[in-house]
Parts: sequence; structure tokens; C-alpha cells
Amino acid sequence: MVAIRMEELTKYFKKGKVIIKAIDHITFKIDDGAAFGILGPSGHGKTTLLRLIAGLEIPTDGYIYFDNELVSAPNRVVIEPERRSVAMVFQNWALYPNMTVYDNIAFPPRMSKMSKHEIDKRVREIAEELELTRVLNHYPKELSGGQQQRTALARALVKNPKVLLLDEPFSNLDAALRDSARALVREIQRARKLTTIIVSHDPADILSIADVAGVIINGKFAQIGSPMDIYSKPATTIVAKLSGDANLITAKVVGENAAIVNLKIPLPISGREIGDEVIIGIRPDEMKLSKELTQEIQGFINVGKVKVKVSSYTLGVFRIVISPVTDESIELAVVSDEPIQPGREAYLYVREDRIKVFTKDGRLIV
Amino acid sequence: MNSRYVIKIIKYALLQLVVAIFIIIWLAPLYAMLIGGFKTNIAAASTPIFTPPSHLSTEAYYFDWFGFGTLIGLEYPMMRQLLITVPVALASVILGSMGAYYFYVEMERRPWVSNLGFSIISLAAFLPAQTLIVPLIKLISSLGIYQTYWGLAFAYFVFYLPMSTLLMSMFLPVMPKYLLESARLDGARDWAIFWHVVFPIVLPGFLSTLIFVYLMVWQDFFVPLIIATKPSLYMLPIAARQYVGGYAILYNRSFAAGVITSAIPLIIFTFLGRYFIRGLAALGGGAKGL
Amino acid sequence: MPRQALIMAIPTLFLSGILVFLLLWNLVISLQNWSLFNPIPKFVGVETYAYLFAQDFFHASLQHTLIFTLGLIAIGDLLGLLLAALLYFIPSNIQRSIYLSIFIYPLAVPPTASALIWLWLFNPQIGIDWVLTSLHLPTIPWLVTPTATYIALIIVEVWAYTGLATLFYLASFLSVNRSIIEAARLDGATGKGLLFRILLPNSMSGFIVATALLFLFSFRIFDIPFIMSGSATSPTLMTLVTYIYYLYAYAESFSAAAALATLVAVIAAAVIIPYALLGLKRWVFRR
Repeated sequence: MVAIRMEELTKYFKKGKVIIKAIDHITFKIDDGAAFGILGPSGHGKTTLLRLIAGLEIPTDGYIYFDNELVSAPNRVVIEPERRSVAMVFQNWALYPNMTVYDNIAFPPRMSKMSKHEIDKRVREIAEELELTRVLNHYPKELSGGQQQRTALARALVKNPKVLLLDEPFSNLDAALRDSARALVREIQRARKLTTIIVSHDPADILSIADVAGVIINGKFAQIGSPMDIYSKPATTIVAKLSGDANLITAKVVGENAAIVNLKIPLPISGREIGDEVIIGIRPDEMKLSKELTQEIQGFINVGKVKVKVSSYTLGVFRIVISPVTDESIELAVVSDEPIQPGREAYLYVREDRIKVFTKDGRLIV
Repeated sequence: MNSRYVIKIIKYALLQLVVAIFIIIWLAPLYAMLIGGFKTNIAAASTPIFTPPSHLSTEAYYFDWFGFGTLIGLEYPMMRQLLITVPVALASVILGSMGAYYFYVEMERRPWVSNLGFSIISLAAFLPAQTLIVPLIKLISSLGIYQTYWGLAFAYFVFYLPMSTLLMSMFLPVMPKYLLESARLDGARDWAIFWHVVFPIVLPGFLSTLIFVYLMVWQDFFVPLIIATKPSLYMLPIAARQYVGGYAILYNRSFAAGVITSAIPLIIFTFLGRYFIRGLAALGGGAKGL
Repeated sequence: MPRQALIMAIPTLFLSGILVFLLLWNLVISLQNWSLFNPIPKFVGVETYAYLFAQDFFHASLQHTLIFTLGLIAIGDLLGLLLAALLYFIPSNIQRSIYLSIFIYPLAVPPTASALIWLWLFNPQIGIDWVLTSLHLPTIPWLVTPTATYIALIIVEVWAYTGLATLFYLASFLSVNRSIIEAARLDGATGKGLLFRILLPNSMSGFIVATALLFLFSFRIFDIPFIMSGSATSPTLMTLVTYIYYLYAYAESFSAAAALATLVAVIAAAVIIPYALLGLKRWVFRR
């Protein structure tokens, strides 16, 4: 339960003659007991940031403080990882293959020389909380993905850490299990008021667990805010794509509308100099399709006629790819609760308050 | 269709035949040694090596085991050999594993240490032992352990500890780094990590190294040659050398000495040869796939 | 407080240090004139080396080492390749590993025993020559003429070390991706075609390892020529390393022994260090 503070944190890697700036002068504070999510494309520094906080990487420059106590400084680790009271769940869970679930969970307390009795009590408590009591005598390779993940979590929590770090903890799980896994982590985090940092490329993880989230691009935070803010008001087109499905189409400014061939999208901003071309961003779940030109659907606005190209189904919704009738090369994805035959024409309705307008070079126009 | 099948059969038979010829050639010395040792003195004096014995006799073994006159019997050298080689090999490989672990974890922090260390242990593993004869003897003498078991052990360690470290370095990388990091975050220090996490995972590699090093130590002729020259200290290879063929030594006695010397390594090779071959393969960078 | 791993590595580091120390000490001794006649050594620079190079034994042992090493490398590489190719095409995995073990078992046999056996096998009446006579083939004067003696030792070395080359060639054959082999088979390649077009070009790593190891093992072979030459008393089988022992034990010219030792160490190091850093280390420490 600590507050984590970073000042000008920087990490460079040298691969041969190339210098990779994994983390580029990040200054930021994570509050005590907060759940912080780090979103970003692979290779842009998410995992590096986590490892720096754990003490597994040495900063090239900058400082890290736990509750005002210096833990990492330029080119040195002031407090070793084993003494930071940090627990980390690795992407592949890092379970010790030669030990049973019980021994895996018991490993950290055994290292801190607790009494056998105390260790047993702790292990069984946490096994019960995470529903692992039945598999305590099994080996990791005999467990299902979900059980392995909970074992990794149990091992992390058994030592009552002050910080919990999660590195893509759900990416090895079946999609169907992810929801319950996310709920579990969220519940644990809230109950213990444990300062938690979760790293993921899947925005669903961040949305379900984090209070505050940051998007890392090229080693810097491109946007920091609540997950919902990042989702509905992404600062750039890149952030928009990282934080969920997004349709990003270039449009011409025609009066008060943005025109994508025959589609007219009202621009929510008026009286501003925005140039003659913008990029419109709208998410598949922020649009609807209607086969007829019905009267108004509350909150939505009709922007024009489209033709269906592909109709598919995934995770409980229909996903339909459409094109404006006058230009088949432009494609948008829409989520719908019923399928529509490819080739059919329909009317596209867009949620008025979710239309995102970006400049030509991808910055959000507020 | 039929003729193609026949050609295939012929090719297969040819392959097996050619291989069989090589196999026979390779096994010939072993065959000679095994049957030769059981020949009577008379047979040894009058029959060629490759003919099987008409009567089996253990008189050659008896002769070699207890010795005769100035010829030292192989009984005590055998016991010394067993007593010394096992702890030396075991200690070498355990200590070598720890050294390999150190190089593995140090590679991140200070690569030059690992590189330098790796070069030195490679050198030590492949350098002919004879290159160090003069300073080694001088060192061992000045330590006062010349012609002692300690001196012998010390010399063995100088040559075989680096080789053990080298081999274990080749087997250690199967250890995923994240397991080490996880253990560190769990509060374990190096000693605990080594025994609880690393060792169980690299156990097959450890066994391969152990078997390989053990057989190398067993057959080492040079170290005892220069350090244990007193008859009361004779190790098995040195004692067996006395039975090289000559005027008083018939070949049944030579071969019996050969069998006594090679029995244990060959038995180990028969049952644990898989490990020996993996250890050998490690010298060449792994040779995965076998 | 230094890391525990460092403390655990102390035996390895200590002995590595001793090794380096011994090598340097060796160098120092080689620059002196220490021998039975000069029990108190003085620094003489390269005089001892000059003395060494002037010895007949030096040239003989150098020549012999060259012959044995090149002989083993040439024959071992080719034969090893041949055997590996033969083994590769054996369909049964069990049979293949048994056969491979048979080619390798000589390495598990103590060289003392090998020397004992082969000396008898080279006996003109009852050994190999007896077999040759029975087959109405001419006998070979093993260990009598110098040429036959060289051939004899090379035969023993080939018997002992070809298995090593076979092992590494076979490993590199087996490491060729199965889908490539299957694609080639579908394209009609069999036997010889497969061997020459697919397997051989991909066995560069096997070649490098096999050759390097054959060189190193041949270079350091001591026990067999030593015993077969009656404890280094016969000049025909004298190699560089047995000559070192000779200088130490019989001639008691310690500095000369050290000088030769330094030379041998340098030659060996010239092969070992690149092999270790490029071949081994790259496999071990890839990130």
C-alpha cells in the first residue's frame, strides 16, 4: 500500500549500434491504493516501466520513490527487488514447474523464514480465497489456464505485498475466462486497497480494472486519464486505436459537416478554424444500422446510405463491415444486434455525442 | 511398381550391410579384449587374438588382480580409483554448476565478467594438460601435497572443475529467465534460487555433465602419472600400464587388465550412455535433436 | 555484501584464476634456463626457445603432431560424415541410437586400455596381420616402419574419435526442419539427392564443430602415443605433448618443457578462444 512516484524516469536499451528509448523521461505519480492501467502497443515500453518499478531493470536516468523512499536512481537499484515488497504476475505466470501448487504459493513465505504453522495457515487462506484448495497437491502442468493464473496470483498475494504488478495477466487465457479473471483481480484489488499496476494491450483489461490509465507511445505517456475518458475522448488517433476498436476516416469539411463521400457527419464544433480536412473517429458500438429510414433513434443521427460488405459474428455481437454507397473502397465496422445480408443497403446512424474529430495529423480537436 | 519396391529393399539391405561392416570393425577391439581376457596362458601364447577361447579361464584376471613380484596388482589401485573419482567428479560438477549459475546471472549486470570467465573455462577444458606440467608440479610441491591424495584431487580440480562449469553453462540456458526473476521477487537469495528453482530444472543437464566428467576423470592417465608416482599411490590407469604386452606379459593378461580398467566405464556407458552423449554434445554447442 | 552467487562461484573463479596463474608462470619459466644442470634458474630471454627449436626431437614431434592432427581431421571428418549419412537413413530410431553409441563407446574406454589392446592388435603374428593373412592379403609392418607406425596411430585415433564427428554431423542433419525434408521428398529428392542438395549444405555448423573438436582432441592426445611408444621413449610416436613430458621427466630441462608448453598453449588457444566465443557462447548467451 504505497504511493509510487517517478521523476524523469528514463531507460535506454542498446542493441548493437541502435539505441532504443524504451522509457523517455516520464514523471508521474500513482496514488496509494490506486489501480493504474498502462495501455500501449507492444514494444513501446509498457513492460519496461513495470520492470523498472519492480527493480528488475536499472534506470538509465531518473528516480523512483515508494512513499518518498528512494528505490531506484540513475544507474543503480537502491533497494533490491527482493526487498521492495513488490509482487509481480508475469505474462506466462512463471510458476515453478517442479513444485506443487501448495509449494509454489508457499515459496515466498518460506523464503522469509516464517514458522511452518504460519505458512500453512496463510497458504490455505489464500488458496481458499482463490478457489485453489482442491488443486493444492497438483503440479502446474496439470492445471487449466485459469487455475494456473489464480495460482500465480495467489503466490503474488501470499506475501502481503505493498505493490502488485500485472504484466498482460490475461493474454494466455481463453476469451471466455477473461471476464471472470478480470472481475477477480478487481475484487481483490479493491478489497485490499492494493496499489496495483496492470499492463495490457487489451483495452478491456484496463477498462475493467483500472481507476486511472496511461497510454504509452514511444516511451512517453500520450494520454493519462480515467479509462472511460481515454475511450471516449482519445487524445490522438493512435490512442483511439489502442483503446478499442475505432473507425478513422479522412473527411472533407463542408460547411458545418464533415463529408465522407455521400455521408454527412455533423461537426460538433462550430466557429473554429479546423482546416479543410479532418479525420473522423467513431467506434463500431457508437453506430447503428437501420434498413429503413425510420424516425429518429434517440441520440443518434442519420448520416447517409451505406452498403453491407461482410457480416460476421464474434463474442455475442454481429460485426458488419459497410461502405458508403458511392465509394466501395472506404470501409467502416459497425456493431449490430441482427445480421444484414451482404449487398443490402442500409442507413447509418451515428451517436451524436461520440463523434470524435481529429486534425489531419491525428490530434483530437476538443 | 514391383521392381521399384525391390530396388528399395535392395537399397535398404545394402545400407544395413555397410553399416554392419563398420559396426563390426568398431566393435572388434572390444570383442578381442573381452574374449582375450578369458583365455588361458597357453592359449594366449599360441592362438591369434581374434579366435574365441576353447576353454574359459580366469587365470589372467587372477594374475592381474593380485600382481606378481614387482608387478603391482590391480586390487588396490581399483579401490583407490573408486574412492577418489566419485567425490572428485561429484564435487567438480556441483561446484561447476554454481559457477555456471554465476556466469548466467552476471551476464546481465557485467557481461565482461561472464565473457572473460567463459573464455578461461573453455581454455581450461580444451588445453592439453601437459602444458601446465612444470608450474603445476612446482605449485603442488610447494604446497606440500605432492604424492598425496590431496595433491591428486587438487590437480583433478584444476582440469575438471572448469570443464564442469563449461558443460553446465551449456545446459543452464534451458532455465527461463522469468523464473529466476519471479524467485527473486519472492524474496529468495541466490543459494535458495539455485537449489530450489534452478537445480531441479537443469537436473538432466547435471546428470549428463556428471556422467561425462566422471568418465573423463576415471580415464585420466596424465594427472596420476605426474602426481601419484609412488606404487602405494598408483591409480588404476597407471597400474594397468604395467600390463602392456612385453616379454613376461601375454595378451590374455593385457586384455584382462584392459577389462578391469574399462569395466566400470563401459557399464556406465551401456546404461547411462544417453547422458554421456549429451554431455559430449554439449562440448559442441548442444547438438540438439539427439 | 557481495551477491551470494558470487560466493557460490568462488571455487570456479579460484581455479580459473589458478589456471591463468599457471599459464603465466609457465611463460616466466620458459624465459629462464631451469634444468637439471641449472637448478637455480636465471632469466635468459628467448635462449631456451632457441635451444628448443634446434632440437631434432622438436622438429620430429612437430612433424608427427601435424601428421596425426591433419590425418585425424581429414579422415575423421569424411568418415564421420559418411557414417552420419548412413545413420541418418536408418529408419528405426532405436537402431540409430544404438549404432551411434557403438561409434562413440571408444571415448568411454580408458585410453590405457585402448593402448593395451591396440598394441596387441598391431602384433605382426597374432593381431590384425593374422586376419589379413587369413584373407590372403599382404601384411602391414605396424610399428616397425615409421610410415606404418603413423598409420597405426591414426587408425587408433580414427577409431576413437570418429564417433565425435559422426555425432555432430548427425545432429546437424537431424536439425534440418522436417518440413524442408518433406517438401524435398515431394519434389522427388531421395537418398543421394537429399544428402547432397539438402543435408550437406545445411551441415556447416556440424562441420565447424566436428573439425574444431577433432583438432583439439587430436592435439591433446597423450596417453596412447605415450604408452604405445613405451612411455615416450620411442621417437617415432613423439608428439608435441609427449615431448613436453619427455623434456620434463627424462631430459629434466624444465624451462625447455615450459617453452614448448607455452607454444602448444598458444596454438591451442588460437583455436579454442574463437571457438568458445563464437561457437559456444553465441548459443549459450543469446538474448
